[in-house]
Amino acid sequence: MRIPDKYFIKSVLLSVLTAMLATSCATEATSRFYGKTEAPKDNVLRYISGSEPESLDPPVATGQPEARIMMALYDGLVEYDPKTMDPIPGIAESWEIGQGGTEYIFHLRHAQFSNGDPIKAGDFVFSYRRAVSPELAALNGYLGYYIKYAEPYNSGFVFVKDANGRFLLKSDFEEAAADRAKPAPDSDGGTEFHKFLDSPERLTVPSTEKERADLDPKIKAAIQGKEFVPVKAEDIGVEAVDDYTFRIKLRQPAPYFIGLLGHQLFRVVHQGTVEKYGKAWTRPENIVTSGAFLLKEHRPYDRIVTVKNPKYWDADMVRLDGIEFYPLDEATTMMNLYKAGSVDAMYNHTTPAAWNEVIKQFKDEYLNAPEVAIEYYTVNVKKPPMNNLKVRQAFALAIDREAMAKYRKTTKPLVDFTPEGIFPKYEEARTKVYTEELKKKGSTLEQWKAREFDPVQARKLLMEAGFPVQQNGNTFSCPTFPVNQVDLTYNTAESNKAVAEFVQAQWKQNLGITIPLKNMEWKTFLSYRKKLEYNGMARAGWVGDYMDPFTFLNLFYSETNDSSTGWWDPKYDKMLDAANNELDATKRFEMLARAEFMVMQEQPVIPLQTQATNWIKKPFVKGMYPNPGTLHAWKFVYIERDPAKWDQNVENIMAERDPWVYQNIDRITATQKALVEQHKTVAE
Amino acid sequence: MLGFILRRLLIIIPMALLVVSVTWALIRIAPGSFYSNEKTLPPAIEANIKRKYGLDKPWYQQYFLMISNVVRGDFGDSLKYQGESVNDIIKRHLPYSATIGALAYLVALMVGLSAGIVASIRQNSGFDYGSMATAMLGLSVPNFVLGPILVLVFALGVYWLPPARWGGMSNLILPVLTLAAIYMAYIARLTRAGMLEVMRSDYIRTARAKGLSETSVLLRHGIRGGLIPVVSYTGPALAGLLAGTVVVEKVFAIPGLGNIFIQSVLNRDEPLTLGIVAFLSILIMVFNLIVDISYGILDPRIRYD
Repeated sequence: MRIPDKYFIKSVLLSVLTAMLATSCATEATSRFYGKTEAPKDNVLRYISGSEPESLDPPVATGQPEARIMMALYDGLVEYDPKTMDPIPGIAESWEIGQGGTEYIFHLRHAQFSNGDPIKAGDFVFSYRRAVSPELAALNGYLGYYIKYAEPYNSGFVFVKDANGRFLLKSDFEEAAADRAKPAPDSDGGTEFHKFLDSPERLTVPSTEKERADLDPKIKAAIQGKEFVPVKAEDIGVEAVDDYTFRIKLRQPAPYFIGLLGHQLFRVVHQGTVEKYGKAWTRPENIVTSGAFLLKEHRPYDRIVTVKNPKYWDADMVRLDGIEFYPLDEATTMMNLYKAGSVDAMYNHTTPAAWNEVIKQFKDEYLNAPEVAIEYYTVNVKKPPMNNLKVRQAFALAIDREAMAKYRKTTKPLVDFTPEGIFPKYEEARTKVYTEELKKKGSTLEQWKAREFDPVQARKLLMEAGFPVQQNGNTFSCPTFPVNQVDLTYNTAESNKAVAEFVQAQWKQNLGITIPLKNMEWKTFLSYRKKLEYNGMARAGWVGDYMDPFTFLNLFYSETNDSSTGWWDPKYDKMLDAANNELDATKRFEMLARAEFMVMQEQPVIPLQTQATNWIKKPFVKGMYPNPGTLHAWKFVYIERDPAKWDQNVENIMAERDPWVYQNIDRITATQKALVEQHKTVAE
Repeated sequence: MLGFILRRLLIIIPMALLVVSVTWALIRIAPGSFYSNEKTLPPAIEANIKRKYGLDKPWYQQYFLMISNVVRGDFGDSLKYQGESVNDIIKRHLPYSATIGALAYLVALMVGLSAGIVASIRQNSGFDYGSMATAMLGLSVPNFVLGPILVLVFALGVYWLPPARWGGMSNLILPVLTLAAIYMAYIARLTRAGMLEVMRSDYIRTARAKGLSETSVLLRHGIRGGLIPVVSYTGPALAGLLAGTVVVEKVFAIPGLGNIFIQSVLNRDEPLTLGIVAFLSILIMVFNLIVDISYGILDPRIRYD
């Protein structure tokens, strides 16, 4: 059987043809939409949600990919506004804040679980106690620490009772007790438990002898021979006043607390189901949910299929019949699926840098808005030469952030530690405070803003620090700078490498210093950075947990802070504490801005950029916005079949007012507004 | 023969335990843990987690507990995916990888063997040059390049096939082709080389001298000898194929074991990593055994005592 040579020629021809086809696909067609764009026939949204969720148990699941799925399955006291992410009523119709910002009273509506059981205040008590229980060991449990006694309960601590049956108080041991001892807020009576929560905070200490060894000697002496009473779930500051009134007592004022309650840790779960099935309770055959959607099918790493929950309190509003979540994290694959019309939308940071120029042209689909997230380099302030403030400042000034933003295409320059364009009220307060503070130093806001890029000043500072920069024609060199003591370390990722190389080139160009780059696997890097083993600089990013600048400023709070820089100043802690005790929002922001000013003067970090959302959705998906956390309240999302009403030019999507969405926001927020109005009238 | 098989089977157990122990040590040496993240946990939360998973015990206790569980075939629960047992995860995701792998294996064998045999018979013909050149191309183009090219043409160019994800038969075509390509090419070249060598050997000349037809020389004598190199290659290759291949699973978003294996290491999900490592090592050892047995069947000169 001799194969004719004709066959060979044919196969060559075929390959050439294929290659031609491939090239024709690679050059982008000048169509209006990216790939196949037809509204699906069924009312089901197909959404790429990021990596496989760790769990479908809301307090257990930690990340943002999980948060998006939890938002479909579970409801909480409040929900995020689809655009601003401000808290809007969820199961709580309205709420009141009292006792100097430490008491929250929620009035619940008559909502149901997916099995028809009513959702009562007791269910929230159960859910909150469970979320912070040491047995569940939820990674996010610390978000509940604002609730009175939640932290000692989660930590397995004990109360201390003396022979007379009196519990020792925390204030007994506080140095500044005298000036801080405000009278305990008036308890409005009620149950024993209510009074207990309103009474001054009890002292709590670790339960084991070993851990108690590190306590303040004064406390150690005082607790000698006393009785220890474990802090129990029943002691934490959550209370069902009646079936539809839920009360939370905080240990100290936290003005951002209400904004935190949309987090999955605080969403309500069904006690009976959790107790009956244990860890298997989230399986599709067992699960009972409280949100707008029900779990129908879960095939790990492949799909999570949800359908509309007819028992949901606001079911009339829900227009989608279901959402299919596809847990994928390979950017190219998801872009392919999107182009082929197999998915309708995806999560944030999904457009690969190499595709950005092309995707950006699809103005009805590409969503890039500022995000409540920043990227920066930490500086190890414990090791020379970076322990010298002037050196740190020089490195921060020698990066052209405007050029970086152009190069990165999606981000915005950042010189402070809170993201730009996210907290407009705070930014107003900050401008005012900075102007004042800078005037005291004989400087101006313009000079401060020049920190985006100021190579001349950078070289001057470096010289003052003892490392003179020499100019040779157009280039610079700094022969005395100990390059062998400074690295720039980042966790391995294409985008981190691109930024690091850019910054390296900037320092070389503007200071004449070539800083070696080092990359590491993620978990290895985390431990290396946290233990301050790195020399010089390391990459970091931070995503806000809630919509308040404190979620960023908190990073430098306390000696064991999470900044991975080694920087700490007790004065800074005091400033933040004072700010959070301030009830007036504007004044509080000013106080926070002063703290931010202080930490930025010390330059323990080199801010680089405010992140942006950077994702795409099909134009027929409406009610879905590039909000600062890319967290969507799914009941606002719908599919529009009429192409005339599809989203257009989504650059302005945040300013456009979809009447249906706004009607519903108005309807949902009316109950809370009415309550606020009522209080105003009473006060007048 | 039976004694040989038994001995080989028995050795698998200590070998697998050794592999698991070394992996365990490596995971422990690697910095970071399954719960480490950008946000540092408060010490109390970390202590709760350590208590929950028995990580607060001394290392040797943890090691013996792990080994005794492994001996009983119980790898415990995944650390990252709470409430999921490792055995369940392997059972659930192996079929995806195995389906793609087995199909790719079949395609590779069918195409590779026929191309190789035909090329060897028609040595130096147009077909020989064409198929071997294509095979060389197949070997040189890595699957992370081939996969996206196939997607570009068939899923995004002409919209004939879905670009990714698990689903119907049409979802299988591109990943199977991508995965099969390199094996196909390798098998074709190995077959051709093996066949060329064997067909020139003395016993083939003898067979022809006996007056056997060319077909029966080829099928009864030639192939048996010529395929030995192919068998020693495809045995372990099949183990690898069945257990999942990371690149193809990533490119086509297939929920297979290969993908999960890599993720488990990045997540520091110790029980899951150990479970998959143990499973893979046993699988590879079993397939090597099968290869060794099949040598005896293919080549009458090889005997086991």
